[in-house]
Amino acid sequence: MSGEEYESDMDYTDSDCGDPGYDDYYNNQQWGSEADNDIDSEQNKKDPEYAIHECLKVEEVERLLNENVEELSNRLQITPSLAKVLLHAHEWALQDIILKYRNDASGLLVTSKIKSSHEPDSSIALRGARTGTCLVCVNTLSLERFAALTCGHTFCKDCWCMHFEVQIIQGISTGIGCMAQDCEVLVPEDFVLSLLTKLTMRERYQQFVFRDYVKSHPQLRFCPGPNCQIVVRSKELRAKKVICSSCKTPFCFRCGMDYHAPTDCGTIKKWLTKCADDSETANYICAHTKDCPKCHICIEKNGGCNHMQCYNCKHDFCWMCLGDWKAHGSEYYECSRYKENPNISRESVHAQAREALKKYLHYYERWENHSKSLKLEEQTLETIKSRIHKKVMHASGTWIDWQHLFEAASLLARCRYTLQYTYPYAYFMEAGPRKVLFEYQQAQLEAEIENLSWKIERAETTDRGDLENQKDIAEKRRVTLLKDFLEV
Amino acid sequence: MCWDALDLWRQGLIMADLPRRIIKETQRLMQEPVPGISAVPDDANARYFHVIVTGPEDSPFEGGLFKLELFLPEDYPMSAPKVRFITKIYHPNIDRLGRICLDILKDKWSPALQIRTVLLSIQALLSAPNPDDPLANDVAELWKINEGEAIRNAKEWTRRYAMDN
Repeated sequence: MSGEEYESDMDYTDSDCGDPGYDDYYNNQQWGSEADNDIDSEQNKKDPEYAIHECLKVEEVERLLNENVEELSNRLQITPSLAKVLLHAHEWALQDIILKYRNDASGLLVTSKIKSSHEPDSSIALRGARTGTCLVCVNTLSLERFAALTCGHTFCKDCWCMHFEVQIIQGISTGIGCMAQDCEVLVPEDFVLSLLTKLTMRERYQQFVFRDYVKSHPQLRFCPGPNCQIVVRSKELRAKKVICSSCKTPFCFRCGMDYHAPTDCGTIKKWLTKCADDSETANYICAHTKDCPKCHICIEKNGGCNHMQCYNCKHDFCWMCLGDWKAHGSEYYECSRYKENPNISRESVHAQAREALKKYLHYYERWENHSKSLKLEEQTLETIKSRIHKKVMHASGTWIDWQHLFEAASLLARCRYTLQYTYPYAYFMEAGPRKVLFEYQQAQLEAEIENLSWKIERAETTDRGDLENQKDIAEKRRVTLLKDFLEV
Repeated sequence: MCWDALDLWRQGLIMADLPRRIIKETQRLMQEPVPGISAVPDDANARYFHVIVTGPEDSPFEGGLFKLELFLPEDYPMSAPKVRFITKIYHPNIDRLGRICLDILKDKWSPALQIRTVLLSIQALLSAPNPDDPLANDVAELWKINEGEAIRNAKEWTRRYAMDN
């Protein structure tokens, strides 16, 4: 039942959970940041990066998860707590679990770490019939103060409670295991909650459990926006763009990072790591400096001829071949050794590092530039606002006439965003005809973006048609590039 | 108050605070020591143990006496004890700082394990180094490429650092 319910739930219009797609139409319209959603749904369908999604509040997610739990517990006649362990272990694939349970219930319970693969045994040292000694705290207590999981490993309730607290403090919740050595059995939620006494611990446990459930559910993703409580749900489990309706953060549904088409999740991670670490500093040193052949101090050549004198040891040498300068004789400013064999420098490690650095900087500069342009978006919007104000005051069109400029600015931002993310893609691409095609399309897109940007800045009421045309061209270039190279 | 008296007083206070589990374990370690292993609590801190493990027979560490320190954290036995080699040792699962790569000291810890079982596991690790799960990379590398040379190194280090002191 719930399988089909998913389908109907996903319908964008009749969602019952305050989906703001249409309610907030006029509120969001303002400065065009949401124009993506609004322009029209036709366009979104053509857009290869668009994924149908909805934004849920915590209570809505809880309701959704609980429906699954309830159904599974009814169908299999197990406690809701065990149903949760099963669902969590199987990425919430309800039908799958039911099928597996029918085939081999015992096997499923073992692989889901609900049941032990061994016969139940008891770790409690019985002393007569009424008392036992807990193996963890070595206290002798009456039997009703002990508890055990299905594996039979019995410990006193105080020790269980302390075990849970220590685990929860480390951020572990659904992964809390039995205390016995080599026992794989996981502690279900009801067992934890029946023994955990401190209110703060119970709350933390429940928060962590919820977090784990959402993370294990393939259709759910926490919004990465700062302090945002929204959970985005999409049935397209691919690297597509979703936008949080609450904080407006767009992100990649698959990896939860900033949206990055046409680059894929793995590549963008590699790129960002590369940009973040300072391996490029080492690369720079390698490319721009050499060690003095005599005293081995590191020298950066920042101009001048190839005749170097070491600042440290006053040794005269040739920057090209690193040989003693005295041997260079009359050809004062030329290194003959280098002339005979220009490969000396090309083969050298320095030269290779320099090449690698040049390549990286080429892509990085463009990436940075577009990223900076995007950050100036607010400024652009302000400029447009004041420009419209002026125009309207001078009776050149009405406020409504000028609204299309915001739409154009939002489209420009979207194109720039895609362009920015084409650089990491190109950087990691292997040379070949496909790369040539990619860079051609990239150049086309870049040219149209600059055109559009120019036209937006100088828009008049009379050339609206021209601007609309340019918008269309830029967007077409963007979509073509994505269609050809976006692999989701 | 003289220093001895202060120490006794301090010790009494610490003992009074000590969980029964730790007292029991300490008593048993004293009464029935594990062969080849000695673990003595520090005079000033009952959670800190001075440990000496003898190198197992038929291992490159044979004949050596290895000093270790063992500390029982506040939430012991819910958390694993912290153990470190003080004596230098050439072993693929023990690094330059004496830190030990052993599953039961990390994710496989169970509150049902004890100081005794931990020390036995460490002794077993000396008999059976595991270069596929290394902590000291250079040692593990050599252990895999040229086991003979690695064992010679281990013997040399044992002789140099773990004997006559």
